[in-house]
Amino acid sequence: MKKAESTSVISLRGLTKRYGVGDAEHTVLGNIDLEIKKGEFIAVMGPSGCGKTTLLNVLGLLDKPDEGEYLLDGKPVERITSAKRAEIRSRRIGFVFQSFNLVPRLNVIENVALPLAYTGTSHLKSIKRASAMLKQFHLNEREYYMPWQLSGGQTQRVAIARALVNDPSIILADEPTGNLDSKSSHIILEELSDIHRRGNTIIMVTHNPDMTTYADRVITMLDGKIDTDTKTAVVKNTRSTVDKKVTLGSRSKSSKRSKKERK
Amino acid sequence: MRLLIVNHISVARESLKRNRMRTWLTTLGITLGVTCMTVILALSYGATKLVDDQVDALGGNIAVIRPGADKKIHDLRDAIIPLGGDSFSVSSLTERDFTAISELDGVEQAAPLMSVDGSVRSSNNKQIIDAPIVATTPALQTISDLKIKDGQFIDNVTNQNTAVIGHQLSIDLFGSDQSIGQLFKVRGQQFTVIGVLGPVNDSINYNNLNINNAVIVSLDSGKSFNQGIAQIRQINVKAKDASQLPALTKQIDQLLIDNHSGERDFSILTDKAISKPTSLLFKLVGIVAVIISSVSLLIGGIGIMNIMLANVAERTREIGIRKAVGASNYHITFQFLIEALVMSVSGGIFGFLLGYAVALLLGTFLPFNPGFTWWVPLASIGTSVFVGVLFGLYPALRAARKDPIEALRQYN
Ligand SMILES: Nc1ncnc2c1ncn2[C@@H]1O[C@H](COP(=O)(O)OP(=O)(O)OP(=O)(O)O)[C@@H](O)[C@H]1O
Ligand SMILES: [Mg+2]
Repeated sequence: MKKAESTSVISLRGLTKRYGVGDAEHTVLGNIDLEIKKGEFIAVMGPSGCGKTTLLNVLGLLDKPDEGEYLLDGKPVERITSAKRAEIRSRRIGFVFQSFNLVPRLNVIENVALPLAYTGTSHLKSIKRASAMLKQFHLNEREYYMPWQLSGGQTQRVAIARALVNDPSIILADEPTGNLDSKSSHIILEELSDIHRRGNTIIMVTHNPDMTTYADRVITMLDGKIDTDTKTAVVKNTRSTVDKKVTLGSRSKSSKRSKKERK
Repeated sequence: MRLLIVNHISVARESLKRNRMRTWLTTLGITLGVTCMTVILALSYGATKLVDDQVDALGGNIAVIRPGADKKIHDLRDAIIPLGGDSFSVSSLTERDFTAISELDGVEQAAPLMSVDGSVRSSNNKQIIDAPIVATTPALQTISDLKIKDGQFIDNVTNQNTAVIGHQLSIDLFGSDQSIGQLFKVRGQQFTVIGVLGPVNDSINYNNLNINNAVIVSLDSGKSFNQGIAQIRQINVKAKDASQLPALTKQIDQLLIDNHSGERDFSILTDKAISKPTSLLFKLVGIVAVIISSVSLLIGGIGIMNIMLANVAERTREIGIRKAVGASNYHITFQFLIEALVMSVSGGIFGFLLGYAVALLLGTFLPFNPGFTWWVPLASIGTSVFVGVLFGLYPALRAARKDPIEALRQYN
């Protein structure tokens, strides 16, 4: 287990996001202050429409706040050019969307390899990496399927594989286990935990309280504001005991190990 | 980057295949335009090459002087002036010019070409043939490398009323290519055939003379048809040494300017310039073909733009995803530009192949064949690339400017 370092990867100060103009204007994110340290695994919960997706979009540099400051690695993102934003998205951030956003015209492996295309990775290497990633999610038999030939859960796993393929240091996952049964959910959470253990920062939106056991900090939101913010060190300890019991999780780890040995 | 291109091309293929009919119709405009362009290029290259080869065969030491300053087509009106509109004006080249040129040091030989209006009649008046009649000096035979099949070429000692005729004319007029001693009339004046030229298959040449049908008479005979004045439409000059040709050209230029009281009302052509298509008809046909091909390229280009705008709208969500996983505006622009290029370039390739087929077909009706050289495909494909970029850029930029959040929210 890696100790959370004191440096803030993400810090928000008075962040506000509004939609609409005039009478129709409403505040989706209101005056949010938030510090996220490197290596934290944060679960974000809250009722529908409270602004969780909007928050992730702002954190992932897809959306711009109307007010307030967003510091990424201590630097304000406001002045970053759009080309630089794209580069940060491609090298540092992995997105999993709420609705599984696969490119319909690309097959599974091409979808997973897509982020690598924008980092200048060679064709062969990208396909190899994508293939290895799919194997971790037990999707190696679906590599050449088109997105419309997949089940909902499979689609989601492909989307997560894609988010992880470029080894991002910040993972933004919007209900990654929304459509999945608990077994598949645990496989995915194991995968995220593994990424977390390597020192990466994870911010995950979820409606399932079970899933928060993997996180070491739980934030609940209400009407565009942070309602509660709890460190869950105790939960994390229990999680490591749970970890040993989850057979599927350990299987996925062993398969990973054997793959590393093969290389 | 390679993955990106491979990716873009495969996405482009996929999305174009999905709308096969639409893509095909769009490509058609480009195909038509490039076809038209290829036909012009191939045929004009073929015609030029034909004359080029003759000029080359002459050994690079020939200069050709024509009356009138070097003519360029300034606007469409110049091109539409009836063919040979100039022939009514008096040539600026005179016999004095010719004599002066022949006497220059660097000149080995020089021959004037004077066209005589009139038709050729057999002595019994049965046959009347419109043949080109040219009055010249004996030097033409060596300068233009004319082959005599029978008899002899005109020379300084032969009688005035003798003529050398082309192979085909001999057959048409006398029913045989053995016509030495036969008589025929031009403008009531009787001529005796003293030589028949060998058959030549370049009916297009830098003398603007169809040798097979020609009547060649001496310059004196020619002058007798024109009140004793030589109306010279071209002077062929052969230099003693090819390396002296540029210097000689300058000398002739100065000489003629002096002769013409300071006016440069003539042009001196050497080397490849001699073989440029001189006929206005050729230029006119070329201009019409250029207009047709630009109109079809324009229509094809607008079609591509239209399809690409539809593509961008249909794939808004895909654009959002790509941006979210790290595509910059540049990447998105590039992707849609490639898609437009796949369409325009495939149109260009089809057009080029079709154009060559058409040119070969036309070649069977024309006195020359289409030429093949590296710049014809380069120009055809290059044009289609240009059209693809020109009309694909706006839709591509529009795609790149889409806001990722809004793009992702579509269909949500
Ligand atoms: N483009 C927009 N224009 C206007 N309002 C918007 C827009 N996008 C989001 N909203 C509003 O912002 C609020 C927060 O949306 P958001 O998607 O962040 O909710 P959420 O917390 O992710 O909900 P859920 O759990 O259902 O996914 C909602 O009330 C939504 O209506
Ligand atoms: Mg949401």
